[in-house]
Amino acid sequence: MPVEVPKEKWPGSVRTITLGALPSEGGTRKRVVTVGGETAMPFMHFEGEIPNPPVVAIEIKDRKPDDWSPLLLETWKDVIDDPAQWAAAAEAAGADLIVLALSLTNRNGEPTSPDEAVASVKAVLRATGLPLIVFGPGQAEADNALLVAVSEATKGERLALGICEDKNYRTIVATAMANDHLVTARTPMDVNLAKQLNILISDMGLPLDRILMDPTTGALGYGIEYGFSVMERLRLAALQGDKMTQLPMIVTPGFEAWKAKESKVGEGVPASWGDWLNRAINWETLTALTLVESGADIVVLRHPESVKRVKAAIEELMAAKSLVS
Amino acid sequence: MAVYRVTFNHQTEPVVVKSGTLITEAARLAGIEINQPCGGQGRCGRCVVQVTDGKVRQRSALRLSAEDIQMGYCLACQSVIEGDISVVVPEQEKIERRLVTDRTAIEVQPIPGYAPEYQQTLKRYFLEFSPPDYEDQTDDLSRLQKHLRTDLGFEEVEIPISLLKKISSVLREGNWQVTVYLDVLSTNDGNPTARMVDLLPNRCDEDSPMWGAAIDIGTTTVTLWLVDLWTGIVHAQVAEYNAQIRRGEDVISRIIYADKEGGLQELQELVVGTINQLIEIACKRVKHHRVSPQDILKLTVAGNTTMMHLFLGIPPSYIRLAPFVPTFNQAPLIRAKDVGLIANPHAVVDCLPGVASYVGADITAGVLSAGVDSTDQLTLFLDVGTNGEMVLGSKEWLVTCACSAGPAFEGAGVRDGMRATTGAIEEVWIHSETYEPTYRVIGGGKPRGICGSGLISLLAEMFMTGVVDKAGNLNTSLSTPRIREGEHGMEYVVAWKDETEHGRDIVITRVDIDNLLRAKAAIYAGFLVLAQSVGVPLEETEQVLIGGSFGKYLNVEKSIQIGLLPDLPWEKFNFLGNTAVKGAYFALLSQEYRTRIHEIASKMTYIELSADNTFYEAFMAAMFLPHTDLSRFPTVLAALQDSNIQFQTN
Repeated sequence: MPVEVPKEKWPGSVRTITLGALPSEGGTRKRVVTVGGETAMPFMHFEGEIPNPPVVAIEIKDRKPDDWSPLLLETWKDVIDDPAQWAAAAEAAGADLIVLALSLTNRNGEPTSPDEAVASVKAVLRATGLPLIVFGPGQAEADNALLVAVSEATKGERLALGICEDKNYRTIVATAMANDHLVTARTPMDVNLAKQLNILISDMGLPLDRILMDPTTGALGYGIEYGFSVMERLRLAALQGDKMTQLPMIVTPGFEAWKAKESKVGEGVPASWGDWLNRAINWETLTALTLVESGADIVVLRHPESVKRVKAAIEELMAAKSLVS
Repeated sequence: MAVYRVTFNHQTEPVVVKSGTLITEAARLAGIEINQPCGGQGRCGRCVVQVTDGKVRQRSALRLSAEDIQMGYCLACQSVIEGDISVVVPEQEKIERRLVTDRTAIEVQPIPGYAPEYQQTLKRYFLEFSPPDYEDQTDDLSRLQKHLRTDLGFEEVEIPISLLKKISSVLREGNWQVTVYLDVLSTNDGNPTARMVDLLPNRCDEDSPMWGAAIDIGTTTVTLWLVDLWTGIVHAQVAEYNAQIRRGEDVISRIIYADKEGGLQELQELVVGTINQLIEIACKRVKHHRVSPQDILKLTVAGNTTMMHLFLGIPPSYIRLAPFVPTFNQAPLIRAKDVGLIANPHAVVDCLPGVASYVGADITAGVLSAGVDSTDQLTLFLDVGTNGEMVLGSKEWLVTCACSAGPAFEGAGVRDGMRATTGAIEEVWIHSETYEPTYRVIGGGKPRGICGSGLISLLAEMFMTGVVDKAGNLNTSLSTPRIREGEHGMEYVVAWKDETEHGRDIVITRVDIDNLLRAKAAIYAGFLVLAQSVGVPLEETEQVLIGGSFGKYLNVEKSIQIGLLPDLPWEKFNFLGNTAVKGAYFALLSQEYRTRIHEIASKMTYIELSADNTFYEAFMAAMFLPHTDLSRFPTVLAALQDSNIQFQTN
């Protein structure tokens, strides 16, 4: 007797969003990346469509970072002083897109100027054909000053500018609107807060298909269950037809995992923790994959080995589609 | 243990205290008044005094500048006496008197068809005895009891020893004719319990009034109605600030204060003092009768659970500690002298039953007087105060919860917030193009601050004109000098300093807006959780009844615009004023109504929100203007579209 597999039929779907613009579209990218479009929960191929696989971004900085793990500094040591070379190396390592995180201060310890930020962004755009996400340093005033300059200097590239938060989003959204870019909207692990920020941003007139939402997460062992649950509920709401949650999700497991003691610390930890590098990569990989399973469309990573492993896993999960049909 | 001498305000006679005493405690001994709005937690900084001689140990100097400390200023509630000191106490801020008579007196109709013979538990009987002689040497008490039994049918009457003391003289003074007052509660088994309340010589006029009082002990205001139990007519309505305010503005501060040494007794005396004061005023206000406090023979009391504990002098400590269990929800009947009321010492004091720590007798009484327990319509009953208590139901069922809305709607926790008294801005209109406000001030003079209804109106106007976005952020891209960077972040100027009474700008800050958002979100989330708990959509509510004195000034339109009240047609909202005192009044008159309150208390299902995950979710969703789910507020959505509000930046 054939077994009838129960299927959930969802009325809603996630919006499809494209990052980057080809020369024919007014940009300079060699390829664009499209995310979203899901009509089912992650990898539930038998219930609906997962038209675009989750993608992996590699995070680079405009200069050598002060607070990154020595393991990461070692990995990128040949390119770490030049964002253009770093971007090219990230592309070679298999990144689907690049996240450039601007620093609050330049190499000399002075505040990063808008001109310096524009120069870094342009150098990265020249060095890679991948779409680009640009994060400000994370301080409202600096974010606004640097991102406005970057946005104006790269009009038409369909960058994603971040990070919009509920206390500081107007300036970033306004400049993204004026220069044909996207924004990322971050809220602290809460379904309602995520929805609220999306409403605030769309109230300003930015179409919903230019917003990526970042529901924030924690690393493995540091609250990832909570992040998982919030993302899962956001996706369930989207599939149930709640327009303000039907946005692709971007999360930063690299940033989170490399903050964890297990990745950051190599000495004075129990021997049973095993090899430091292996452990750190495992931490980042597992954090990222867990989030992919909860509905992340873009995961931002730092180590090339993690990128390789996460991409391989995504490929397998997508291949499961053929088993269904 | 060492003792020290503390001199206040250069008085000649110092008070002697043990080492480790706080200045506030010493002041109490010296009879000096020091206000402690936060209940002595050292949070509000309002109990500042100056130590002019000697030293104290300061546990905390919050809100004091280095210069203040240098000059000897300290927080009286945080300063430990460890030596002889002299203290100067600045003149204390007077607690502004509300316009009680003008604004809160309401016309009250007695219960239709009120028949005291059947409904009133206080009974008046005339008895005539044969005097004792050598043939019949029955003692006076037995003689009285025999007549109570044979003439009136009471097998057993509880007679307090203090009444026993005067039996013999009263019997003889009236020449063996007496009027006896009994409080008779019928019980389920058919044997009524009777308590003797008073015994007076001679026969009194059968139509003369029998005085009783209905009381609501509010955290902020105590209300008393003086009633003729014979006719049911309310002869005086009086209200006064609860004198406990000086020892904490909200219930939690009071509970903390009660935990301090001597605190409980002091709070009990303060509230009884307030009631006694009201009794005196009410007696004087009665026309055509001379009434003295001693003539009051029965008192029915409503109030929240904490107030009831403090009134009876019972430690309320566990009300604020998880799992939030009070000592009692229903107190036994007591006599006036047990708590120090100046009514007749044997007057029965009937404290009405509550449901839980944060749903007290004020709510059960309110449900009764609002008729929630007898209506076919799905009713939402709401009492807005520091705590938002709410009840959803009909005659079939009732569910209730209490959410801590905070004191924002009473003007506390808001920079220029104030109570609804003279000088308070009570309504605001903002021009949608110039962003210039117009406002109305209570009393018509210059403004001093903004009261709760003013804050709701202001927030609604700011939202509807785009001065703030849906998250309450001020829109800095609007061209108006009224939106500016203040000491505590962005703010909107409601009144420039040349318009105000105190010569300072009246503003609303981003922090104030957050406090208001939290308050309104807590209340709306409470509605949703109640509705979800019984599986009815909130929109199906057929009437919304709003009690509490604040409720009267609530503007429905503005309240819906900010998402405080559900988006229902305006005609479904009804403001009832003080429903608690009215419920107490009904219970005072009629035993049936009293029984109904007890039934309400026992049948109402209490939902503890702190143990309920759905509340947090609903709260976060409501922390938005008007709500994250805009489809719950269709009329607000339509109004926003109509007025074509542009949220765009320039």
